[in-house]
Amino acid sequence: MADEVRAAPVRTARPALARSLRRSLIWLCGGLVGGTGVLLAILLVHPDSPPWAYWGYTAVCWLYFVAGCVAWWRRPSNGMGALIVWGGVSVSLLLVGSTAAPLLAALGTAAGTLPLAVVVHLLLAFPSGRLRRALPWAVVAAGYVVTLVLQFPLYAFDARMSALPLFVADRPDLLRTGIEIQRYAGALVMAVTAVVLVVRLRRAKPWQRRILVPLFGYGVLAVLFIPLSPNLFSRWFDWSPFAIGVSQLVAISGVPVAFALAVLLGGFARTGEVEELSSWLSAPTAERSGLSAALAAVLGDPLLEIAFRVPGRLDWVDSAGRPVGLPAPGDTRAAVPVELSGEVIAAIVYDSELIADPELVRAAGRVVALGVERERLTAALRASEQSLRRSRERLVETADRERRRIAQDLHDGLQVTLVLLAIQAQQLAHQPGATSAHRTGATDLRRGIDAAAAELRSLVHAVMPSSLLERGLGLAAEDLVDRLPVPAELVLGDVEPLPTPVASTAYFVVAEALTNVVKHAAASKVVVRLELVGGNLLVDVRDDGRGGASRDHGTGLRGLADRVDVLGGSLTLDSPAGGGTRLSVQLPVSQQGPDATAELARAQPDDRPRPPVLRPTELTVPDPLPVTATQD
Amino acid sequence: MQVVIGEDEALLRRGLTLILQDAGFLVAGTAADAAGLVRLAAVHEPDMVITDVRMPPTHTDEGMAAALQLARIYPSMSVVVLSQHVQRRYAVELLGEKRRGIGYLLKQRIADVDTFCADLRRVHAGGAVIDPEVVEIMVARADRDGTAIGRLTPRQREVLKLVAEGRSNLAIGTELHITEKAVVQHTSRIYDALGIAVDDDAHRRVLAVLKYLAQ
Repeated sequence: MADEVRAAPVRTARPALARSLRRSLIWLCGGLVGGTGVLLAILLVHPDSPPWAYWGYTAVCWLYFVAGCVAWWRRPSNGMGALIVWGGVSVSLLLVGSTAAPLLAALGTAAGTLPLAVVVHLLLAFPSGRLRRALPWAVVAAGYVVTLVLQFPLYAFDARMSALPLFVADRPDLLRTGIEIQRYAGALVMAVTAVVLVVRLRRAKPWQRRILVPLFGYGVLAVLFIPLSPNLFSRWFDWSPFAIGVSQLVAISGVPVAFALAVLLGGFARTGEVEELSSWLSAPTAERSGLSAALAAVLGDPLLEIAFRVPGRLDWVDSAGRPVGLPAPGDTRAAVPVELSGEVIAAIVYDSELIADPELVRAAGRVVALGVERERLTAALRASEQSLRRSRERLVETADRERRRIAQDLHDGLQVTLVLLAIQAQQLAHQPGATSAHRTGATDLRRGIDAAAAELRSLVHAVMPSSLLERGLGLAAEDLVDRLPVPAELVLGDVEPLPTPVASTAYFVVAEALTNVVKHAAASKVVVRLELVGGNLLVDVRDDGRGGASRDHGTGLRGLADRVDVLGGSLTLDSPAGGGTRLSVQLPVSQQGPDATAELARAQPDDRPRPPVLRPTELTVPDPLPVTATQD
Repeated sequence: MQVVIGEDEALLRRGLTLILQDAGFLVAGTAADAAGLVRLAAVHEPDMVITDVRMPPTHTDEGMAAALQLARIYPSMSVVVLSQHVQRRYAVELLGEKRRGIGYLLKQRIADVDTFCADLRRVHAGGAVIDPEVVEIMVARADRDGTAIGRLTPRQREVLKLVAEGRSNLAIGTELHITEKAVVQHTSRIYDALGIAVDDDAHRRVLAVLKYLAQ
């Protein structure tokens, strides 16, 4: 997968901060699991409930701790992991309440319904673990008030709690009223929670709903099931206390697993190790060109890109110097600027559905700004190199196009005219009453026209051979070799189809090399080789002549070397005196020239989804943020 | 003899039509592209199609492809391909598809109307006519590479060249100022030298030419 590959540079420079966090998490998890384990051991010494209940609740605590720590570990900047651990703590308070020590028992009783508030908190804080809006914040606060404050009458006015230090008086009336208030307040909190969640579901994207619907549904049912189940199942279904206890345990134990999985697999949250970036940047071995890869890994958007602002240009370029566009407003992709000394030097283009908070991207941008500046200078260099290259490519293309046009025009125009003129001349000879002098003259005229036509043919052939236009390089090279006065062999691999500029450049290389062989080499044998080797077209012309050729002799070879260079190829001339001559040219075939033929499309499949290229000059920052279920 | 012409240049199409009509051929139809040529050939089933190698819309070898296709579909239809530039491969491909009634000529040959029409008639009679320029390239190539053909005597090579151009023994004799019998002797020695088995003469002539071209 792309993100795994691109994340590699980050892994090579695992910073101290992350190591420290992970050590802390191991200690935290170990401490909590150990602590509850000790608690369990104490409780099992003098149990006043059946042992399975202690075991069950301890196991649920452990589940919360482990799931929470795993989520925390994998998504350090996401608050959900910590919340899940907090849920575990709230469940463990129930165990604490079962101990014989009055103070601890009081604490446990006071926190008896706290886990329900934590589940509400988890529901409303998903997926980032934070509450950024007023309503969810108020609902969560209300949830804690209901479970902690409104719990008060249950231990202050209940005669069964008289042994506890929090007991005030035996007041059944106040107790009843208190229970009623807590019940209605709890129902209200749940109702508002349900409304908030439904609104979020409506705003969520379909793929988000696939995760949100089961998660929210399960959370809400768990919160309702736990307080209602004793009445419901014992009264109407005649369940035993054991069955009810187990079902409550199961219901509450599903919560940490569900939330941890949603955080890890849901694709909602970033890996969130912004702090890692700065240490990564200062690592001496870090690969700078992988900056966007590092940001992509850290922010959890595998398609994240950095677009650079290059001095003297209005558009944006990527790290290779190629022009790119920024997303338009309303696009699912968004961009935030990276500034250095008050100047916008780059933009981070990211998926606003994966990363809901542009502040986070902006913060990451601030951290990497210096690195971006360095990469920007490289990009600027590459961009100017690219534009130089493009302009040279255009020159070659224009020359080729012109050659083709001239060849076609001569073919359609002058050559046809010469045939027709020759026919007319010949017809003069056949005119009734023509004298023999007339006939001879007319036939000579026709021959003269034929000779002119032959000359024109060879001229057109030199400009752009028809065989190259008709069948491509193989046929054209075969014709060259056929007509050569020197014994020649053509070794023709399976090279076609070729992009037009590659085919014509290769043809002119062969033609020029063979011309030189005939003119200068005094060779007794020449071998022409055309083969595809590893994505390159290999053109090799070798003779056994006198050697001593140089690419500086004459303009032919030099011009060809330029053409080859423009196509990103290489030309080598090996011609020791007396040792024959070998001209070897490699032309990349996979390189996608702008004039490349359609067949070339198969050569370079790039099916990685790319951000749509839009609006080159405008930097758009999504503000206000699009409201989706990924936010609070 | 009924002829269908494929040529994209309107002036040349017209000129060719007039020449053929003057020479007593019946021009059943003319097409400006390869698809049109194949259609007309299917409709008229003429004795002969004459086509340019390059035709619209791609201006590559569409005419050649159409000629090969027609040679395959209609074994009795003669096929003559005209080209601005002649080369060995097209001649080999045409002869590979069909041994009789094949012609491959430079377009400029049209101007020598008498020779051109005589060539067409030879093709119609079942001959194979290859442009002298192709033949010349082959002879030069044979000389240069010292192959079996390169080892033929100069006289034998002259005879073979004229055989490849589709000439009859009588015509070769006239051209070289030797008797027809001498020509027959030369050709049988050529067949021996090239290792061509005894067969009917027309077939052997084409085999000799093919050997000549494909070496």
